[in-house]
Amino acid sequence: MALLKVEHIYKSFGGVKAIQDFSIEANRGEIHGIIGPNGAGKTTIFNVISGIYPADEGKVLLDGKDITRMEQHLISREGMGRTFQNIRLFKGLSVLDNTMCAFDPRSRYGVPGSLLPLPKRYAEEKRGREICMGYLKMVGLESYAQEKPENMSYGYRRRLEIARALTCEPKVLLLDEPAAGLNPVEVGELTELILRLSRELGFAILLIEHRLELVMNISQIIHVQNFGKTIASGTPGQVRSDPGVIEAYLGKEEC
Amino acid sequence: MQILQYVINGIALGSVYALISTGFSLIFNVLKFSNFSHGALMTFSAFTGYFVAAANGWGLVPTILAAAATGSLVALAGEFVAFRRILIRNTSPIYFFVSSITLGTLFEGIVVLQVGANFYNYPRFFGKPLKLAGLVISQSDIIIFCISAFVLVVLALVIQKTRLGRALRSVSFDRDTASLMGIDVTRSIQFAFIISGALAGLAGVFLGINYTLYPTLGSLVVKGFIASVIGGLGSLPGAVIGAMLLGIVETTLISTIGSGYAPVFTFLIMLVFLLVRPRGIAGSNIQEKA
Repeated sequence: MALLKVEHIYKSFGGVKAIQDFSIEANRGEIHGIIGPNGAGKTTIFNVISGIYPADEGKVLLDGKDITRMEQHLISREGMGRTFQNIRLFKGLSVLDNTMCAFDPRSRYGVPGSLLPLPKRYAEEKRGREICMGYLKMVGLESYAQEKPENMSYGYRRRLEIARALTCEPKVLLLDEPAAGLNPVEVGELTELILRLSRELGFAILLIEHRLELVMNISQIIHVQNFGKTIASGTPGQVRSDPGVIEAYLGKEEC
Repeated sequence: MQILQYVINGIALGSVYALISTGFSLIFNVLKFSNFSHGALMTFSAFTGYFVAAANGWGLVPTILAAAATGSLVALAGEFVAFRRILIRNTSPIYFFVSSITLGTLFEGIVVLQVGANFYNYPRFFGKPLKLAGLVISQSDIIIFCISAFVLVVLALVIQKTRLGRALRSVSFDRDTASLMGIDVTRSIQFAFIISGALAGLAGVFLGINYTLYPTLGSLVVKGFIASVIGGLGSLPGAVIGAMLLGIVETTLISTIGSGYAPVFTFLIMLVFLLVRPRGIAGSNIQEKA
């Protein structure tokens, strides 16, 4: 069964039709690229899938479970991890604490354990730290655990966002322009990281990206959005030669 | 020696202000608005503590527990009635102000209806002041300081070291992102209100012990507000530092220029801070206005 199945979703804001009839089916280990010009509704697709806004119509199924109208934090707990176009880390919290926040739902102590120094709390905090350090190691940030994110480079902050999303134990990982603002070397490292995570953790990845070379290199399937509509979807080769895509990106040929 | 005496009295007074300003800052942190019902909640809880425990001849501890429990429960109910809908709808923070002022007026109204405009006194919980090398230290000051310090240290540990604190801090930074990472934002906000309410109850009892119990006791919340402005709105350590400074300055001023002019100067200090260093002593770059 597909890990993520989005069926004909629609979303409008007033008169603006941000998403019209978007569907996707992503399986374990697949990387799907979503591309399109600015304002094509790509981030809105992510926001609907992760529950920031409900879809006007259509359904989102995560591992067979209908999550269309669920609350954001419950969707996250079902196994949806995401990063943001404009990096949204918790400033003031250390790198480790940023990932520990995403570990919160998996912590097994509650209010009494927080108010009283019970052994359970220390055991659970230790378990959380170890698990989170594991994710930091996966993205190569283990030596920066006590650093504050605002003191780190853009590339590292992107990685930290990915580590935090991994802490949610995602079945589906949504990456919103992970290469924005990175230099070519960092883009290369990021590409490797995404491929490695996809191989090792076996989730489905949805990737929004403007850098076509990155998307074309790592995605198995590409969906091209324009003005809220899917104008093409298929393998990188198919999409590259699609006349509709060429028109959207380069404009119509004048005779 | 005289100065040392002011400092000691000031710290005792400051520790009560610290309870107020911390409770105030907690809510400011998570919801980014100044909770003006905090003062009335102090009054309400202090009176409940009086009638449930102190008036029956029970001691200080039951009175504090009754007041703190009342504060928590009423704050929790207040969150549900007055703030939840505004939060879910994501409407303008101005409605939080309106709601919190309304809620405060309601609490104060209930108190006035129940007790009239009379003054009440807590029974004497403490013995004679201690004299030590020329310094006079009242027992109530010592106990109040110790309890406040203990409560604030526990709170600091909870916020720094536990998942509840971490959730609270992440919600303070960015509600939406926190919830996308699986944190139950509503729970965290409820937790903030419970803690803030308990602090309000505790502070209410201490104010009642220091002064008397009267229906507009809650107006002393202004001291907590000044303290958080001096310390830096939204910063909990700042709130404590600001409160201590305010306590010391205030006791010194009262003894030197008299209690009539002292408030004038404390407000002047706040104005100076707002002019010169609006983010306060420990404040970060918080853009929201109080």
